Amino acid sequence: MNTLSIALGTSLATALLACLAGLVMPVKWRTRLAGVLLGLSGAAGVLVGALAVTGMVWRAELPTLLPLAGVSLAADPLSGWFLVIIGAVTAAAGVYAIGYAGRTSHGPGSRTAMAVVPLFTAAMLLVPLAASVTTFLLFWELMAVTSLILVMTEHRHHKAVRPAAIWYAAMTQAGFVTVLIGLSWLAAATGTQAFDGIREAAVSIRPFAAGTIFLLCLLGFASKAGAVPLHPWLPRAHAEAPSHVSALMSAAMVKLGVYGVLRLGFDLLGGGLRWWWLAVAALGALSAVYGIVQAVVATDLKRLLAFSTSENIGLILLGVGFAGMLARSGQPAIGAVAMAAALLHTANHAGFKTLLFFGAGSVQRATGTRDLDKLGGLSHRMRVTTALVAAGALAAAALPPGNGFISEWLLLQALLHQTPNAGTMLAIAAPIGVAVVALTAGVGVAAFVKMVGTGFLARPRSDAAAQAAESPPSMLTAMTGAAAVCAVLAVVPAVTAPALARVINSLQISQTPLSEGLLDLRLSGISSHIAPLWIAVGIIAATTAAAVLARVLGKARRRAIAWDCGDGPLTARMEHTATSYAEPLQRVFDNILEPVADVDVTHSVESQYVIASIQYRQQIPDRIENRIYRPLVAAVQKLGAAAKRLAPGVMHRYLAYMLTALIVVLVAGAIR
Amino acid sequence: MSAQISSQLLNVACGLFLLTAVGVLWRRQVSALITLLTVQGVALAAIAVILAEQHRSAEAATIAIGVGLLKAVVIPWMLRRVHQQLPDARETRPLVNVSTSLLAAAGLTLLAYSAARPLVALAPTASAKATPVGIAVILIGFFLAATRQRAISQIIGLLLVDNGIAAVAFLATGGVPLIVELGVSVDLALAVLVLQILTSHLHTAFGPTDLDELRELHD
Repeated sequence: MNTLSIALGTSLATALLACLAGLVMPVKWRTRLAGVLLGLSGAAGVLVGALAVTGMVWRAELPTLLPLAGVSLAADPLSGWFLVIIGAVTAAAGVYAIGYAGRTSHGPGSRTAMAVVPLFTAAMLLVPLAASVTTFLLFWELMAVTSLILVMTEHRHHKAVRPAAIWYAAMTQAGFVTVLIGLSWLAAATGTQAFDGIREAAVSIRPFAAGTIFLLCLLGFASKAGAVPLHPWLPRAHAEAPSHVSALMSAAMVKLGVYGVLRLGFDLLGGGLRWWWLAVAALGALSAVYGIVQAVVATDLKRLLAFSTSENIGLILLGVGFAGMLARSGQPAIGAVAMAAALLHTANHAGFKTLLFFGAGSVQRATGTRDLDKLGGLSHRMRVTTALVAAGALAAAALPPGNGFISEWLLLQALLHQTPNAGTMLAIAAPIGVAVVALTAGVGVAAFVKMVGTGFLARPRSDAAAQAAESPPSMLTAMTGAAAVCAVLAVVPAVTAPALARVINSLQISQTPLSEGLLDLRLSGISSHIAPLWIAVGIIAATTAAAVLARVLGKARRRAIAWDCGDGPLTARMEHTATSYAEPLQRVFDNILEPVADVDVTHSVESQYVIASIQYRQQIPDRIENRIYRPLVAAVQKLGAAAKRLAPGVMHRYLAYMLTALIVVLVAGAIR
Repeated sequence: MSAQISSQLLNVACGLFLLTAVGVLWRRQVSALITLLTVQGVALAAIAVILAEQHRSAEAATIAIGVGLLKAVVIPWMLRRVHQQLPDARETRPLVNVSTSLLAAAGLTLLAYSAARPLVALAPTASAKATPVGIAVILIGFFLAATRQRAISQIIGLLLVDNGIAAVAFLATGGVPLIVELGVSVDLALAVLVLQILTSHLHTAFGPTDLDELRELHD
């Protein structure tokens, strides 16, 4: 019994207590107690992860917990890295839920919602600890089911919740089936279902079988991660779930898709072939570009954040893919840097996306809407929230001194410094990767400027936004905590260097990506280095100096009426809305997005030269969804309708089906 | 009783068990079907008694007596009551005619024997060798239920399936625990009771109960 098992036991026990508190406590105390317990559970989870990352060895076999297979758990630095992320997000979500759910007995404060959140986080904590195929699948499915229940929390309040839940249920189950097939095949091919045994026997699997297993599992993991084109559930589920659940899903759950790819590809299958990782990188590149392009034109605040999740998962997968390719092409040192970029970005994204989803939840709670076109003016009434969301947006836009900048810089370094003569594949893929990262960074800035600029600044464009009130202290505390983590990761990212080295070592790339040194981030194998602290200090000093100098030396500020074309006073309706801000970019990406615009011009009755009114409607449908999923859904529905003829209501037919099935099974058994 | 005679008796009982199932397919008169079912119940009880004697188990003997009471006395009595309420319940036009049914029964029995080979190979004792008989009766019961029109034939098909399952349980494992058998038996008696009530209600509502004409059952 070591420290790790005590910490894990504490985490799971407090989660269970939080679940009980959610179930039995009266409304008055429910969210407070459950939230605090959930926060403690998350904190203990961080401790488990931290211990595992420092290399503490731990394993547990519980053969009696499950019939036939038993449960087997083990901790290594890789699982530790993800446990720290999940635990930290859980802790923040617990604190946030206290204020967010409030003292209501429906929606996020309902008995079901408060009781299921701890189960969800506990399942997420156990996924990276699973050390056998059945254990992994069990917790994976538990995580999917509990998150599905949480997505449905507000099904009585909004009509869109139900379709979102159905999309999520269908896609997560389809993904589960492919992972199930893949891992069962892996277990059959190696003759054991324990990860240790698979690791040893993996070399003997034929390359074709190994590749197919990897692709099958990649499908499932990528759909959990929300990578394009397996993403349609993500903008729906993230938007319709309560905001602390959105944060848990976006910051923690989708990361487990990445964990699955890393665990299977690098650890269990021992690194695989180059084309596997090319496929991962291609998937990542597609997600990154498509995700950010959809985010920049989104007008729903949470939908924007959800597509940004797709984008960031894309960048992470891009890093993972290039790490795999580089490690297979004799450049393990550069591969280690790419992997460090991917891992660091998982942590960075978890930090700022938690913050931003919390912010979106505060906005929704205060105004009752997520439509950026109807917001605006929140900076006056929700000062702290606006400042925190702006900090999160800075990080998400990958601008210095945000933490997103560090990991994207690392990724670019890896892509730029690979040896050009390492083969055609890399020589073509690396420049494309650089272009993808550059494009997403650029469009990302526009997306987040739009989010903060049209959502929080200027004047309110609706009564709801004009009457917004600041969130309760618990929500602000949770957001401040997330912002503080982002700040630490932005200013002293080198604190993660020893942990990253151990994680990458456990992924069988035995290279240290970053040299030690607290203030200066030096890459091993590459001559570049960066000093995030000095960048941050420099930027802040320069901005302050500019502001002070402008005050002191500049001309006095002159107040005057803004030019209104002589058409009466300016109203809030004339501001840049989210739609109008994104319009130029929408034109640029017209071929990708294919927006559907509809202009209705009504002429005056007296003269057709006088226009009475113009109506403009625009929709930007998800093109991948329309092209791939609509036909698929239509085909399935057709099949379902056709299958109805199999059930005509005649009892003899049903009995004959049973008999036929029985006979087929028996014949199959007899022939074998 | 020597082991030789015991296994001979077991084979006779199993033969009778299968033969009655085939007889059910052959006869159409409902009273004859009920008689055949009674005989089958007796054969099943005999199998159970012989096995209980082989294992020298008092629990198994109790189960055997209980099964005999249920399958050879209670259920036939309930069926006769249904029959008295519906005197014209003769199977007039089965979906598959009698000679084809008998051929199908032969085929199903062959299938049962070939499919049960791995089971027999596990423990080549006399009782295990007779296991396919139970599987054959299950298949024949299913076949009967799927191809006959009258409600009472369906009940009898269900009872054949249950008898088959019970026989497999006895022959392959030497009998299930008392509590399980008790549960199954009560369940079966209840099912027959429900079907009996349902059949008589169907009769009062629709006249002669020809299930093929009831097509409104789908969703």
